[in-house]
Amino acid sequence: MASNEQASDVATYAASVRAALSDLPSDQSEMLLEDLEDHLREIAAEAGGPLTERLGSPEQYAQELRAAYGASRASASRPDPALRDLRQAVGWVTGSAWYRQVRAFLPELRPAWWVLRAYLAVLILTAALSPGYNLGPIPNPTTKRGLAEILVTGFAIWLSVRIGRRNRPLPQPARVLAVSANVLIAFVAVVILGNMRSFTYSEIIGTASPEQPPFAAAFAAGPSTNIYPYSQDGKPLTNVLLYDQDGRPITVQQSEAQTIYPIGADGKAITNAYPLTQRHLNGDLVVAPRVAFPPWPTPSATPSPSATASPTASPSPRR
Amino acid sequence: MNQMELDTTQLLKGVLDLAVLAVLADADSYGYDVVRRLRENGLDHVGDASVYGTLRRLYQAGALNSYVVPSDEGPHRKYYGLNNRGRKALDQSAQNWASFSKALNHLLNGRSNGHGK
Repeated sequence: MASNEQASDVATYAASVRAALSDLPSDQSEMLLEDLEDHLREIAAEAGGPLTERLGSPEQYAQELRAAYGASRASASRPDPALRDLRQAVGWVTGSAWYRQVRAFLPELRPAWWVLRAYLAVLILTAALSPGYNLGPIPNPTTKRGLAEILVTGFAIWLSVRIGRRNRPLPQPARVLAVSANVLIAFVAVVILGNMRSFTYSEIIGTASPEQPPFAAAFAAGPSTNIYPYSQDGKPLTNVLLYDQDGRPITVQQSEAQTIYPIGADGKAITNAYPLTQRHLNGDLVVAPRVAFPPWPTPSATPSPSATASPTASPSPRR
Repeated sequence: MNQMELDTTQLLKGVLDLAVLAVLADADSYGYDVVRRLRENGLDHVGDASVYGTLRRLYQAGALNSYVVPSDEGPHRKYYGLNNRGRKALDQSAQNWASFSKALNHLLNGRSNGHGK
Protein backbone atom coordinates (compact mmCIF):
# COMPACT_ATOMS: atom_id res chain seq x y z
CA MET A 1 0.00 0.00 0.00
CA ALA A 2 2.81 2.36 0.96
CA SER A 3 4.46 1.83 -2.41
CA ASN A 4 1.13 2.56 -4.16
CA GLU A 5 0.85 5.81 -2.25
CA GLN A 6 4.40 6.66 -3.19
CA ALA A 7 3.75 5.89 -6.83
CA SER A 8 0.74 8.19 -6.90
CA ASP A 9 2.70 10.89 -5.09
CA VAL A 10 5.47 10.62 -7.68
CA ALA A 11 3.01 10.70 -10.56
CA THR A 12 1.23 13.74 -9.15
CA TYR A 13 4.43 15.58 -8.44
CA ALA A 14 5.94 14.79 -11.83
CA ALA A 15 2.76 15.89 -13.58
CA SER A 16 2.84 19.22 -11.76
CA VAL A 17 6.51 19.75 -12.66
CA ARG A 18 5.79 18.97 -16.29
CA ALA A 19 2.85 21.36 -16.25
CA ALA A 20 5.07 24.10 -14.87
CA LEU A 21 7.59 23.49 -17.66
CA SER A 22 5.02 23.12 -20.40
CA ASP A 23 6.27 26.28 -22.10
CA LEU A 24 9.62 24.67 -22.96
CA PRO A 25 10.04 23.44 -26.53
CA SER A 26 9.03 19.81 -26.59
CA ASP A 27 12.48 18.47 -27.54
CA GLN A 28 14.06 20.39 -24.70
CA SER A 29 11.52 19.38 -22.09
CA GLU A 30 11.71 15.78 -23.24
CA MET A 31 15.48 15.76 -22.82
CA LEU A 32 15.20 17.38 -19.44
CA LEU A 33 12.30 15.39 -18.01
CA GLU A 34 13.03 12.04 -19.61
CA ASP A 35 13.80 10.20 -16.38
CA LEU A 36 12.18 12.56 -13.90
CA GLU A 37 9.82 9.86 -12.62
CA ASP A 38 12.65 7.40 -11.99
CA HIS A 39 14.55 10.07 -10.17
CA LEU A 40 11.57 11.08 -8.02
CA ARG A 41 10.83 7.45 -7.29
CA GLU A 42 14.36 7.06 -6.03
CA ILE A 43 13.93 10.01 -3.71
CA ALA A 44 10.54 8.81 -2.52
CA ALA A 45 11.93 5.35 -1.85
CA GLU A 46 15.00 6.53 0.05
CA ALA A 47 13.72 9.61 1.78
CA GLY A 48 10.18 8.57 2.70
CA GLY A 49 7.38 11.04 3.38
CA PRO A 50 5.61 13.17 0.79
CA LEU A 51 7.77 14.64 -1.95
CA THR A 52 6.57 18.19 -1.33
CA GLU A 53 8.04 17.97 2.16
CA ARG A 54 11.34 16.86 0.77
CA LEU A 55 11.60 18.93 -2.40
CA GLY A 56 9.29 21.90 -1.91
CA SER A 57 6.42 22.65 -4.25
CA PRO A 58 6.54 21.20 -7.77
CA GLU A 59 6.53 24.76 -9.12
CA GLN A 60 9.65 25.64 -7.13
CA TYR A 61 11.25 22.42 -8.22
CA ALA A 62 10.46 23.18 -11.85
CA GLN A 63 11.89 26.66 -11.43
CA GLU A 64 15.15 25.29 -10.04
CA LEU A 65 15.30 22.66 -12.74
CA ARG A 66 14.82 25.28 -15.41
CA ALA A 67 17.63 27.39 -14.00
CA ALA A 68 20.05 24.49 -13.60
CA TYR A 69 19.35 23.18 -17.06
CA GLY A 70 19.91 26.60 -18.49
CA ALA A 71 16.57 26.78 -20.23
CA SER A 72 15.01 30.16 -20.52
CA ARG A 73 11.44 30.95 -19.70
CA ALA A 74 10.81 32.43 -23.10
CA SER A 75 11.01 29.59 -25.55
CA ALA A 76 12.56 29.98 -28.98
CA SER A 77 9.26 29.85 -30.78
CA ARG A 78 7.05 32.37 -29.03
CA PRO A 79 3.58 30.92 -28.65
CA ASP A 80 0.67 33.11 -29.62
CA PRO A 81 -1.21 34.83 -26.77
CA ALA A 82 -4.28 32.58 -26.97
CA LEU A 83 -2.12 29.50 -26.53
CA ARG A 84 -0.29 31.15 -23.67
CA ASP A 85 -3.58 32.02 -21.97
CA LEU A 86 -4.73 28.45 -22.41
CA ARG A 87 -1.50 27.17 -20.91
CA GLN A 88 -1.89 29.57 -18.05
CA ALA A 89 -5.44 28.36 -17.46
CA VAL A 90 -4.32 24.73 -17.59
CA GLY A 91 -1.46 25.53 -15.27
CA TRP A 92 -3.84 27.28 -12.90
CA VAL A 93 -6.14 24.27 -12.79
CA THR A 94 -3.38 21.69 -12.49
CA GLY A 95 -1.67 23.80 -9.86
CA SER A 96 -4.70 24.16 -7.65
CA ALA A 97 -5.00 22.22 -4.42
CA TRP A 98 -8.26 20.49 -5.30
CA TYR A 99 -6.85 19.26 -8.60
CA ARG A 100 -3.91 17.79 -6.77
CA GLN A 101 -6.22 16.16 -4.26
CA VAL A 102 -8.38 14.64 -6.97
CA ARG A 103 -5.29 13.63 -8.92
CA ALA A 104 -3.84 12.00 -5.82
CA PHE A 105 -7.09 10.20 -5.04
CA LEU A 106 -7.70 8.79 -8.52
CA PRO A 107 -4.95 6.15 -8.31
CA GLU A 108 -6.75 4.66 -5.31
CA LEU A 109 -9.61 3.79 -7.63
CA ARG A 110 -7.29 1.74 -9.83
CA PRO A 111 -8.05 -1.68 -8.30
CA ALA A 112 -11.77 -1.03 -8.78
CA TRP A 113 -11.14 -0.31 -12.44
CA TRP A 114 -9.08 -3.48 -12.80
CA VAL A 115 -12.08 -5.52 -11.67
CA LEU A 116 -14.56 -3.48 -13.69
CA ARG A 117 -12.57 -3.63 -16.92
CA ALA A 118 -12.33 -7.42 -16.68
CA TYR A 119 -16.10 -7.66 -16.29
CA LEU A 120 -16.64 -5.22 -19.17
CA ALA A 121 -14.15 -7.03 -21.40
CA VAL A 122 -16.01 -10.32 -20.96
CA LEU A 123 -19.28 -8.50 -21.59
CA ILE A 124 -17.88 -7.10 -24.84
CA LEU A 125 -16.56 -10.50 -25.81
CA THR A 126 -19.93 -12.15 -25.16
CA ALA A 127 -21.73 -9.51 -27.15
CA ALA A 128 -19.27 -9.86 -30.02
CA LEU A 129 -19.33 -13.64 -30.12
CA SER A 130 -23.09 -14.11 -29.89
CA PRO A 131 -25.19 -11.53 -31.65
CA GLY A 132 -28.81 -11.83 -30.65
CA TYR A 133 -28.00 -13.52 -27.38
CA ASN A 134 -30.09 -11.92 -24.70
CA LEU A 135 -27.28 -10.20 -22.86
CA GLY A 136 -27.98 -9.29 -19.23
CA PRO A 137 -25.87 -7.24 -16.87
CA ILE A 138 -25.53 -10.29 -14.64
CA PRO A 139 -25.17 -13.70 -16.32
CA ASN A 140 -27.74 -16.27 -15.34
CA PRO A 141 -25.84 -18.93 -13.36
CA THR A 142 -28.49 -21.59 -13.95
CA THR A 143 -27.72 -21.76 -17.66
CA LYS A 144 -24.58 -23.38 -19.00
CA ARG A 145 -23.75 -20.26 -20.91
CA GLY A 146 -24.21 -17.92 -17.95
CA LEU A 147 -22.09 -20.17 -15.79
CA ALA A 148 -19.34 -20.11 -18.41
CA GLU A 149 -19.61 -16.33 -18.53
CA ILE A 150 -19.20 -16.09 -14.75
CA LEU A 151 -16.19 -18.40 -14.77
CA VAL A 152 -14.54 -16.49 -17.61
CA THR A 153 -15.24 -13.21 -15.80
CA GLY A 154 -13.60 -14.56 -12.67
CA PHE A 155 -10.53 -15.56 -14.61
CA ALA A 156 -10.45 -12.21 -16.42
CA ILE A 157 -10.59 -10.35 -13.10
CA TRP A 158 -7.70 -12.39 -11.77
CA LEU A 159 -5.71 -11.67 -14.93
CA SER A 160 -6.60 -7.99 -15.01
CA VAL A 161 -5.61 -7.44 -11.38
CA ARG A 162 -2.37 -9.30 -12.02
CA ILE A 163 -1.63 -7.03 -14.97
CA GLY A 164 -2.59 -3.98 -12.96
CA ARG A 165 -0.35 -4.87 -10.04
CA ARG A 166 2.70 -5.38 -12.26
CA ASN A 167 4.61 -2.53 -10.67
CA ARG A 168 6.80 -1.75 -13.63
CA PRO A 169 6.45 1.20 -15.98
CA LEU A 170 5.86 0.33 -19.61
CA PRO A 171 7.95 1.82 -22.40
CA GLN A 172 6.29 4.75 -24.11
CA PRO A 173 4.64 3.03 -27.14
CA ALA A 174 3.32 0.17 -25.01
CA ARG A 175 1.94 2.62 -22.49
CA VAL A 176 0.02 4.49 -25.17
CA LEU A 177 -1.33 1.18 -26.40
CA ALA A 178 -2.38 0.12 -22.91
CA VAL A 179 -4.14 3.39 -22.20
CA SER A 180 -5.95 3.22 -25.56
CA ALA A 181 -7.08 -0.33 -24.80
CA ASN A 182 -8.51 0.76 -21.46
CA VAL A 183 -10.33 3.69 -23.03
CA LEU A 184 -11.65 1.43 -25.79
CA ILE A 185 -13.00 -1.10 -23.29
CA ALA A 186 -14.76 1.66 -21.38
CA PHE A 187 -16.20 3.21 -24.54
CA VAL A 188 -17.43 -0.01 -26.20
CA ALA A 189 -18.85 -1.24 -22.90
CA VAL A 190 -20.87 1.95 -22.49
CA VAL A 191 -22.38 1.38 -25.95
CA ILE A 192 -23.22 -2.24 -25.16
CA LEU A 193 -24.65 -1.42 -21.75
CA GLY A 194 -26.70 1.32 -23.34
CA ASN A 195 -28.21 -1.11 -25.83
CA MET A 196 -28.86 -3.73 -23.18
CA ARG A 197 -32.45 -4.14 -22.20
CA SER A 198 -32.82 -2.55 -18.84
CA PHE A 199 -33.80 -5.84 -17.24
CA THR A 200 -35.34 -9.13 -18.19
CA TYR A 201 -38.24 -7.98 -16.03
CA SER A 202 -40.10 -6.93 -19.17
CA GLU A 203 -39.90 -10.53 -20.26
CA ILE A 204 -41.38 -11.86 -17.06
CA ILE A 205 -44.45 -9.63 -17.08
CA GLY A 206 -44.84 -9.94 -20.83
CA THR A 207 -46.00 -6.94 -22.77
CA ALA A 208 -49.26 -6.63 -20.92
CA SER A 209 -50.94 -3.42 -21.84
CA PRO A 210 -53.03 -1.57 -19.25
CA GLU A 211 -56.43 -2.58 -20.69
CA GLN A 212 -55.51 -6.23 -20.48
CA PRO A 213 -55.80 -7.75 -17.05
CA PRO A 214 -52.52 -8.83 -15.50
CA PHE A 215 -53.67 -12.41 -15.83
CA ALA A 216 -52.16 -12.40 -19.26
CA ALA A 217 -48.84 -11.85 -17.64
CA ALA A 218 -48.81 -14.71 -15.23
CA PHE A 219 -46.72 -17.04 -17.36
CA ALA A 220 -43.00 -16.52 -17.44
CA ALA A 221 -42.66 -18.78 -20.45
CA GLY A 222 -44.37 -16.18 -22.62
CA PRO A 223 -47.77 -14.61 -22.90
CA SER A 224 -50.81 -16.85 -23.04
CA THR A 225 -52.78 -16.43 -26.22
CA ASN A 226 -55.53 -18.94 -25.54
CA ILE A 227 -56.89 -21.11 -22.71
CA TYR A 228 -57.94 -24.73 -23.17
CA PRO A 229 -60.16 -25.89 -20.33
CA TYR A 230 -60.64 -29.60 -19.65
CA SER A 231 -62.93 -31.44 -17.34
CA GLN A 232 -61.45 -33.44 -14.51
CA ASP A 233 -61.61 -36.63 -16.58
CA GLY A 234 -59.77 -34.94 -19.46
CA LYS A 235 -62.60 -34.04 -21.81
CA PRO A 236 -62.08 -30.76 -23.65
CA LEU A 237 -64.63 -28.13 -22.65
CA THR A 238 -65.95 -25.46 -24.94
CA ASN A 239 -67.24 -21.95 -24.33
CA VAL A 240 -66.08 -21.84 -20.74
CA LEU A 241 -66.56 -18.29 -19.44
CA LEU A 242 -63.79 -17.07 -17.21
CA TYR A 243 -64.00 -14.15 -14.75
CA ASP A 244 -61.55 -12.79 -12.27
CA GLN A 245 -62.12 -12.03 -8.58
CA ASP A 246 -63.78 -8.72 -9.45
CA GLY A 247 -66.09 -10.25 -11.97
CA ARG A 248 -64.25 -8.91 -14.97
CA PRO A 249 -64.05 -11.14 -18.01
CA ILE A 250 -60.58 -12.65 -18.31
CA THR A 251 -58.98 -12.10 -21.67
CA VAL A 252 -55.63 -13.18 -23.00
CA GLN A 253 -52.88 -11.75 -25.09
CA GLN A 254 -53.54 -11.27 -28.77
CA SER A 255 -51.45 -13.61 -30.86
CA GLU A 256 -50.64 -13.28 -34.50
CA ALA A 257 -53.40 -15.79 -35.14
CA GLN A 258 -56.75 -14.21 -35.79
CA THR A 259 -59.33 -14.74 -33.06
CA ILE A 260 -63.00 -15.20 -33.94
CA TYR A 261 -65.18 -14.15 -31.03
CA PRO A 262 -68.77 -15.28 -30.77
CA ILE A 263 -71.18 -12.35 -31.02
CA GLY A 264 -73.76 -12.11 -28.24
CA ALA A 265 -77.44 -11.31 -28.62
CA ASP A 266 -76.61 -7.70 -27.77
CA GLY A 267 -74.23 -7.53 -30.75
CA LYS A 268 -71.12 -7.38 -28.58
CA ALA A 269 -68.22 -9.82 -28.90
CA ILE A 270 -67.85 -12.33 -26.12
CA THR A 271 -64.13 -12.27 -25.45
CA ASN A 272 -63.84 -14.63 -22.50
CA ALA A 273 -65.36 -17.83 -23.82
CA TYR A 274 -62.61 -20.43 -23.91
CA PRO A 275 -61.03 -21.96 -25.83
CA LEU A 276 -61.04 -19.10 -28.31
CA THR A 277 -61.51 -20.02 -31.91
CA GLN A 278 -58.42 -18.88 -33.72
CA ARG A 279 -57.21 -19.02 -37.29
CA HIS A 280 -53.66 -18.78 -38.54
CA LEU A 281 -52.93 -16.12 -41.14
CA ASN A 282 -53.22 -18.78 -43.85
CA GLY A 283 -56.77 -19.53 -42.70
CA ASP A 284 -56.10 -22.86 -40.93
CA LEU A 285 -57.73 -23.32 -37.58
CA VAL A 286 -55.41 -23.27 -34.59
CA VAL A 287 -55.55 -26.74 -33.09
CA ALA A 288 -55.50 -27.48 -29.40
CA PRO A 289 -52.10 -28.37 -27.97
CA ARG A 290 -51.34 -31.81 -26.60
CA VAL A 291 -51.55 -31.69 -22.86
CA ALA A 292 -50.57 -33.96 -20.02
CA PHE A 293 -53.19 -34.39 -17.32
CA PRO A 294 -52.17 -34.57 -13.70
CA PRO A 295 -52.80 -37.89 -11.96
CA TRP A 296 -55.63 -37.32 -9.53
CA PRO A 297 -55.52 -38.87 -6.09
CA THR A 298 -57.49 -42.13 -6.27
CA PRO A 299 -60.36 -41.36 -3.78
CA SER A 300 -61.74 -38.50 -5.88
CA ALA A 301 -61.44 -40.35 -9.19
CA THR A 302 -65.23 -40.37 -9.67
CA PRO A 303 -66.15 -38.02 -12.50
CA SER A 304 -68.06 -35.02 -11.32
CA PRO A 305 -71.41 -34.41 -13.01
CA SER A 306 -70.72 -30.72 -13.49
CA ALA A 307 -67.84 -31.39 -15.82
CA THR A 308 -69.54 -30.36 -19.03
CA ALA A 309 -70.52 -26.79 -19.58
CA SER A 310 -73.52 -25.79 -21.61
CA PRO A 311 -72.35 -24.26 -24.87
CA THR A 312 -75.44 -22.10 -25.05
CA ALA A 313 -74.86 -20.25 -21.82
CA SER A 314 -74.71 -16.52 -22.37
CA PRO A 315 -72.29 -14.36 -20.35
CA SER A 316 -73.94 -13.15 -17.18
CA PRO A 317 -71.41 -11.95 -14.66
CA ARG A 318 -72.63 -12.21 -11.11
CA ARG A 319 -72.86 -8.88 -9.44
CA MET B 1 15.21 31.34 3.48
CA ASN B 2 17.59 33.82 5.03
CA GLN B 3 20.21 36.00 3.43
CA MET B 4 23.09 33.60 4.08
CA GLU B 5 21.38 30.66 2.42
CA LEU B 6 20.56 32.74 -0.58
CA ASP B 7 24.24 33.55 -0.92
CA THR B 8 25.25 29.93 -0.71
CA THR B 9 22.72 29.14 -3.37
CA GLN B 10 24.14 31.87 -5.54
CA LEU B 11 27.65 30.55 -5.06
CA LEU B 12 26.60 26.99 -5.78
CA LYS B 13 25.09 28.00 -9.07
CA GLY B 14 28.47 28.88 -10.48
CA VAL B 15 30.30 25.81 -9.31
CA LEU B 16 27.67 23.09 -9.34
CA ASP B 17 28.92 21.76 -12.68
CA LEU B 18 32.36 21.40 -11.20
CA ALA B 19 31.05 19.78 -8.03
CA VAL B 20 28.94 17.28 -9.95
CA LEU B 21 31.81 16.43 -12.29
CA ALA B 22 34.08 15.93 -9.29
CA VAL B 23 31.62 13.55 -7.65
CA LEU B 24 31.27 11.54 -10.85
CA ALA B 25 35.05 11.42 -11.29
CA ASP B 26 35.08 9.47 -8.04
CA ALA B 27 32.59 6.90 -9.20
CA ASP B 28 29.64 6.57 -11.56
CA SER B 29 26.48 7.54 -9.81
CA TYR B 30 22.75 8.19 -10.14
CA GLY B 31 20.87 11.40 -9.43
CA TYR B 32 19.83 10.92 -5.86
CA ASP B 33 23.21 9.48 -4.92
CA VAL B 34 24.99 12.50 -6.43
CA VAL B 35 22.87 14.78 -4.25
CA ARG B 36 23.68 12.72 -1.18
CA ARG B 37 27.39 12.70 -1.85
CA LEU B 38 27.46 16.45 -2.43
CA ARG B 39 25.70 16.96 0.88
CA GLU B 40 28.02 14.55 2.65
CA ASN B 41 30.88 16.69 1.41
CA GLY B 42 29.46 19.78 3.04
CA LEU B 43 27.36 21.28 0.25
CA ASP B 44 24.24 21.19 2.42
CA HIS B 45 22.25 23.60 0.36
CA VAL B 46 22.49 21.84 -2.93
CA GLY B 47 19.01 21.47 -4.38
CA ASP B 48 17.78 18.21 -5.79
CA ALA B 49 16.34 19.84 -8.87
CA SER B 50 19.57 21.73 -9.47
CA VAL B 51 21.58 18.52 -9.46
CA TYR B 52 19.08 16.70 -11.62
CA GLY B 53 18.97 19.60 -14.08
CA THR B 54 22.76 19.84 -14.12
CA LEU B 55 23.15 16.12 -14.78
CA ARG B 56 20.72 16.37 -17.68
CA ARG B 57 22.50 19.40 -19.09
CA LEU B 58 25.99 17.88 -18.81
CA TYR B 59 24.68 14.71 -20.41
CA GLN B 60 23.10 16.78 -23.13
CA ALA B 61 26.37 18.60 -23.68
CA GLY B 62 28.14 15.27 -24.19
CA ALA B 63 30.23 15.36 -21.02
CA LEU B 64 28.60 12.28 -19.49
CA ASN B 65 27.62 8.84 -20.55
CA SER B 66 24.62 7.19 -19.03
CA TYR B 67 23.25 3.71 -18.49
CA VAL B 68 20.30 2.21 -16.69
CA VAL B 69 20.75 -0.30 -13.92
CA PRO B 70 17.57 -2.26 -13.32
CA SER B 71 16.78 -3.20 -9.77
CA ASP B 72 14.31 -5.75 -8.48
CA GLU B 73 12.89 -3.93 -5.49
CA GLY B 74 13.44 -0.24 -6.27
CA PRO B 75 13.04 1.86 -9.42
CA HIS B 76 15.51 1.65 -12.29
CA ARG B 77 18.55 3.80 -11.70
CA LYS B 78 20.06 5.94 -14.37
CA TYR B 79 23.77 6.03 -13.74
CA TYR B 80 25.96 8.80 -15.08
CA GLY B 81 29.70 8.67 -15.55
CA LEU B 82 32.40 10.89 -17.01
CA ASN B 83 33.55 10.32 -20.55
CA ASN B 84 36.71 11.83 -22.04
CA ARG B 85 35.00 15.09 -22.71
CA GLY B 86 33.74 15.20 -19.14
CA ARG B 87 37.16 14.48 -17.74
CA LYS B 88 38.67 17.29 -19.83
CA ALA B 89 35.90 19.63 -18.71
CA LEU B 90 36.58 18.68 -15.10
CA ASP B 91 40.34 19.30 -15.44
CA GLN B 92 39.76 22.66 -17.08
CA SER B 93 37.12 23.71 -14.56
CA ALA B 94 39.27 22.55 -11.66
CA GLN B 95 42.14 24.71 -12.87
CA ASN B 96 39.82 27.67 -13.31
CA TRP B 97 38.44 27.14 -9.84
CA ALA B 98 41.89 26.85 -8.30
CA SER B 99 43.08 30.15 -9.73
CA PHE B 100 39.75 31.81 -8.99
CA SER B 101 39.64 30.70 -5.37
CA LYS B 102 43.31 31.56 -4.93
CA ALA B 103 42.63 35.08 -6.15
CA LEU B 104 39.59 35.42 -3.96
CA ASN B 105 41.30 33.98 -0.89
CA HIS B 106 44.15 36.35 -1.45
CA LEU B 107 41.71 39.22 -1.66
CA LEU B 108 39.86 38.16 1.47
CA ASN B 109 43.03 37.51 3.46
CA GLY B 110 44.40 40.89 2.51
CA ARG B 111 41.19 42.53 3.63
CA SER B 112 41.01 40.72 6.97
CA ASN B 113 44.74 41.34 7.58
CA GLY B 114 44.25 45.00 6.88
CA HIS B 115 41.38 45.15 9.38
CA GLY B 116 43.30 43.13 11.96
CA LYS B 117 46.14 45.62 12.14
